Amino acid sequence: MKKFYLAYGLLVVSMLAFGEYRGWSFERVNEVKNVPKSVRDNPGSYRSVYAVYHHYTGGK
Amino acid sequence: MSVVCGNCHAILDASNENLAIFQRFKGKTDKAKPLIPLGSRGKWRGAVYDVIGFQRRTGNADGESFSWNEYVLFNAAKGFRYFTEYNGHWNDATPATALPEEQAFGTKYLGKTYKHFQTVTVATAFVLGEFPWQVRVGEQVRVADYIAPPYVLSSEKNANEVTWTLGEYVHGKDIWKAFSLSGEPPKPTGIFENQPSPARVSMGEVWTAFALFFCLILAILTVNESFAQKLQVFFDSYRFQQTAGTEASFVTPIFELKGRTSSVEFKTYASVENQWLYLNYALINADNGQAYDFGREISYYSGSDSDGPWTEGSHFDSVLLPSIPSGRYYVRVEPESEARFGPIAYQLTITRDVPNYDLYMAAIGALFAPAILISWRTFNFEQLRWAESDHPR
Repeated sequence: MKKFYLAYGLLVVSMLAFGEYRGWSFERVNEVKNVPKSVRDNPGSYRSVYAVYHHYTGGK
Repeated sequence: MSVVCGNCHAILDASNENLAIFQRFKGKTDKAKPLIPLGSRGKWRGAVYDVIGFQRRTGNADGESFSWNEYVLFNAAKGFRYFTEYNGHWNDATPATALPEEQAFGTKYLGKTYKHFQTVTVATAFVLGEFPWQVRVGEQVRVADYIAPPYVLSSEKNANEVTWTLGEYVHGKDIWKAFSLSGEPPKPTGIFENQPSPARVSMGEVWTAFALFFCLILAILTVNESFAQKLQVFFDSYRFQQTAGTEASFVTPIFELKGRTSSVEFKTYASVENQWLYLNYALINADNGQAYDFGREISYYSGSDSDGPWTEGSHFDSVLLPSIPSGRYYVRVEPESEARFGPIAYQLTITRDVPNYDLYMAAIGALFAPAILISWRTFNFEQLRWAESDHPR
């Protein structure tokens, strides 16, 4: 168990170091390839997948 | 030395040429049948041993009677050793080679400290075979056990002498294999005094390892804080009002993300008051068209009710995009809100290569959880172990 915990701990710390180096994050983003260059001239021609988000309009 | 007749169970003096009878056995019983038949031979710890004697001993602790079995093993060169068995738990015992030093809460033997577990008066209830001492049924000794799992140091005291033996917890299946015994050894029940913890690690060792890893994590954080770029690559202020029939989206000027593949932080501040603003962001590589889409809502509500003033939400939002390669980028922004809110001012700040503290918290959590689990298992096991002792915890 001691060896397992040491090995597991080293793996966690190594992943942390590598993840930090590579800029890992828990945030979710949607990757889209080959967005046309025309978007710069006509931003409305591109629609984000998040545009259908249902907004919270609450408050207490 | 004494010998017990296997048929009539009379105990004889082996040193007497006429085999004088010490004691006639009062009542032969089948209840104390040795699990390892006398005469069994096996290789144990590098030497061939014969099983030559068996005795059952009975003690009484807290008004409860209990018994265990002892087997005498003999090798002409190595001498005697003993197997003890209680409820399927086995120990391999040999005479101590040095005199243990008794201390306040235990004893010290060959540099190792053993904690006192139990002291009890025991009596020999049944004997069979040969013994290296003059054994008698009904003979009483005071037995004190000191433990340092998987070891147990036992002292047996009678009116004339004190005998010390060192036992080590062994598995029945290893004995069965070594002595080529048929069937299976009895399954252990309960927790024995010197049974090793299933966690196979002490709480001290686990938390020492945790502290070591925690220091490593702090070192990584320090290095990353020192060397991360944390470079602001874009900042601008905007004003938005939802208007029907008007295209709200726009793009920012192109900016450059330099260095290795790393994180990009989007920080947004919006002057919302009992309002919401939703921003569809797309970070787009100007050269290869690779886009990273995400949406963020900023909302802030405040008021007062019977419980007093309250607030909900925040004017700020921050998000860390993972692993963005270097290159020339721009952002497409598509704000949404409600027309009745009127104009909402907001600011966008983009920073390259920002440390992600969530990763550190996740790493600490990932190390903490098994440490807690191991400690909990060890703690429970030790509680059950010591519940049977003279010092229940």
